[in-house]
Amino acid sequence: MSDIKINEVVSIVGEAGGRVVGRTRLQKIAYLLTATGLDENFEFIYKHYGPFSADLASSAEFGALIGNLTEEKTQTQWGAVYSTYTVDGFQPPEVMTARGQLASIAAASDSIELELAATAVFLAREGYDDPWEETSQRKPEKVTPVRLQNAKALLIQLSQIAVPQPIPEGLLQ
Amino acid sequence: METVREKAPENQRSREDIALAAAMVHDVGHGPFSHAFETVGKRLGLKLADHEVMSDELIRNGEIAEILNNEIMNGFASNVANMIKKEGKITLHNSVVSSQFDADRLDYMQRDRLMTGSKHSAIDLTWLLANLDVGEVTTGIDDTAVGKIPTFVIGPKAIQAAEAYVMGLFQLYPTIYFHKTTRGAEKLFAEILVRLVQLVQNEAVGKTGLPSEHPLVRFAQEPEALESALALDDTVVWGALQLLKGAEDNLLSSFAERLLNRKLFKCYDVRAEITHKCDPHNSGDAQNVAQIEKSCASVVLKLQEWQKNQEGDVPRIIVDVAERKPYKPSGGSNGHNEQINVRTDGGELIDILQRSEIVRSLSVYKLTRAYYDPEDLDARKAIFDIVEGEIN
Repeated sequence: MSDIKINEVVSIVGEAGGRVVGRTRLQKIAYLLTATGLDENFEFIYKHYGPFSADLASSAEFGALIGNLTEEKTQTQWGAVYSTYTVDGFQPPEVMTARGQLASIAAASDSIELELAATAVFLAREGYDDPWEETSQRKPEKVTPVRLQNAKALLIQLSQIAVPQPIPEGLLQ
Repeated sequence: METVREKAPENQRSREDIALAAAMVHDVGHGPFSHAFETVGKRLGLKLADHEVMSDELIRNGEIAEILNNEIMNGFASNVANMIKKEGKITLHNSVVSSQFDADRLDYMQRDRLMTGSKHSAIDLTWLLANLDVGEVTTGIDDTAVGKIPTFVIGPKAIQAAEAYVMGLFQLYPTIYFHKTTRGAEKLFAEILVRLVQLVQNEAVGKTGLPSEHPLVRFAQEPEALESALALDDTVVWGALQLLKGAEDNLLSSFAERLLNRKLFKCYDVRAEITHKCDPHNSGDAQNVAQIEKSCASVVLKLQEWQKNQEGDVPRIIVDVAERKPYKPSGGSNGHNEQINVRTDGGELIDILQRSEIVRSLSVYKLTRAYYDPEDLDARKAIFDIVEGEIN
């Protein structure tokens, strides 16, 4: 098995404000940090639910078992179960870093729109000419004009943060 | 597909064709020793070692694409690839390709028990198919609902068959897919492939024992090339082992020898030992279970640390961690449907978890193992000491 990176995943949840709702949301926050050059601890591949890192998933699991992470599972009205991660003894940072800004904005966003935004960034990095169109083709059950607009607005908001690898300009038009 | 045809709201012949083709070609991208090869790809970031990526490439761009697009219709290959990737419009036909009752699962459950000679995990396929119905279920991402999708559901008369199906699939994991000897061999295989690729990529082909034109060497040199990935299969690896046995590299020569002559690493069942100490009567008490999980996780990290601190380039302890949930209730957090819904006599759809005490009582199967050379007494002692230190 690969290396378990408990401190690294705890750091991401901490940067996001000490609380992240949902495994998918955690994955997308971590991916956006990675894609913008603010994190280099996890490798991501494409799944039908967007960028995914198996190492991040197992590190979060270990973090909840023996690290400073708490994972609480909640059942939705339609029967699904989602996780909420919190950092034990979390103290908000005195100075907000670029990582903190990006992670906290992503953590506060709608999970479907965040997935669409992260997917578009992934597809842009993969060289697709029109990543938004490709995202729409791949996820018709999740894409609506409003969600797409909000996903784009989210990326525009994130693009205001100074990062080593800016979000591709083409995604912000 | 007959069920889909009977129950689908309208005639969708083209979707049927796509689903049939998708069911047939969805696994064409598997590399040698299938999932064991994928672990190599994950460790080294080799995209084409992922069978889903490779299958997608072959279906969209390879010989298969030519046949599908020329013989059926232009664009057909992309439609097939999209359905396999669970992308694009979701119809009931997607359930034939990916769902709890997809064609692949219903097939491999029977095939694998036949090919391994196992007599358990039998399912009543005829009864299950006869009682397949359709319904709509809600899916979501994390705490947000996405919408409803059509999927297979089970009629009220097949609840026992569905229970046996869930249990049968679950039991294949500890007994066959996660068998300690098979996993031990897979671990050695993965170490060989990882080292081989690293050596070739570091211009050290001479240390591998393989000729420079060997398919494994070519794959290591050009892992992104479809042709080099396509040239790999089980027989290429088996043939290479004889040559790897003579490699200058210690890991390659010793592990190839082990695989060829079945001198595998010995398995120490960390979880069994910890469970025995923390919960000897298997009470399932929440506090004991939590302690077992924490101790297993802690031992894994300590074993990895021990291995990192070793000199030499041949792993002495290889850790194996895996788990299998008997049943994933609901669409989980990824927006797709993996649940089994049962239609009640009153026509309501309810999750099998609510309907079946048997399914509800199944616990997640987890393994935490350490593999070591039985002659390496220091490694053996290290494992014993770390586990003992954790539970005393």
